[in-house]
Amino acid sequence: MYKYIFYFSLFIYIFSLVWGVLFTQEDFVQGNSFRIIYLHVPASFLSQSIYAAMAISSVIYLIWRVKLSAYLILAMAPIGALVTFLALFSGSVWGIPTWGTWWQWDARITSTLILFIMYLGLISLHNSFSNHEKADKLLSWLVIVGFVNIPIIKKSVDWWSTLHQSASITLTDKPTIDPSMLYPLIGSIIGFFGIVICLIIISSKVQIFKREKTKSWIKDYV
Amino acid sequence: MFDFPFKSIEEALYMNGHGIYVWSVVLVVTFCLIYAFAYYKIKLKKFKKKFNEPN
Repeated sequence: MYKYIFYFSLFIYIFSLVWGVLFTQEDFVQGNSFRIIYLHVPASFLSQSIYAAMAISSVIYLIWRVKLSAYLILAMAPIGALVTFLALFSGSVWGIPTWGTWWQWDARITSTLILFIMYLGLISLHNSFSNHEKADKLLSWLVIVGFVNIPIIKKSVDWWSTLHQSASITLTDKPTIDPSMLYPLIGSIIGFFGIVICLIIISSKVQIFKREKTKSWIKDYV
Repeated sequence: MFDFPFKSIEEALYMNGHGIYVWSVVLVVTFCLIYAFAYYKIKLKKFKKKFNEPN
């Protein structure tokens, strides 16, 4: 089933990327470097969404002890780290022609770097435990505590004076971006979202195989 | 809405000096996604193979 989601998302992503990178007009202020938006925004959006999904899974695990939630947290963490790395990398590259620097210790960039370090920390912490159940429990608590960083990332451009521009698309206000640039951006976000969902599904399967390898049902399943 | 704003393919690659930034990000994102898929797919295949092996 997820293969259909994957091919559909891949088509939308490639179509939107080609549309955005090659078939939109140059930005009046930023020139052609603005085209990085079609890679940077989906990655940034997903880096926070994955963490939010991990926090929801953690709550489910701590309240109802659903094992699958713990496996999902572990499956999502490396993908979250990868996507956050892509957000940081694309943002840094975009910063060179736009701001004249690839790095600035401003609120948005620093809080995103903290998110990246948090992902790496959670992965290594879980790997350092030999007792999986204990590790799952501790990981869930840490994910919930770390969730405080997500609203900070989101609101950093409003709370502090930063180099980073404020959000071009919000749920409440009209987009501040031209429709010719907006449609491929929405397409690239949807496509990237679908691709990452499929990646999480495969990663979850790996986690289930890893943790349930001694159970008899898994052999019947395979 | 689908206007090709460049005069040639070379210009689309160069993008007035910004091509190096745009295309490098495209390459890195593409590489990372392909790598991640390949990594998990190979891992999954290995698990399935292991389970299918007779004891």
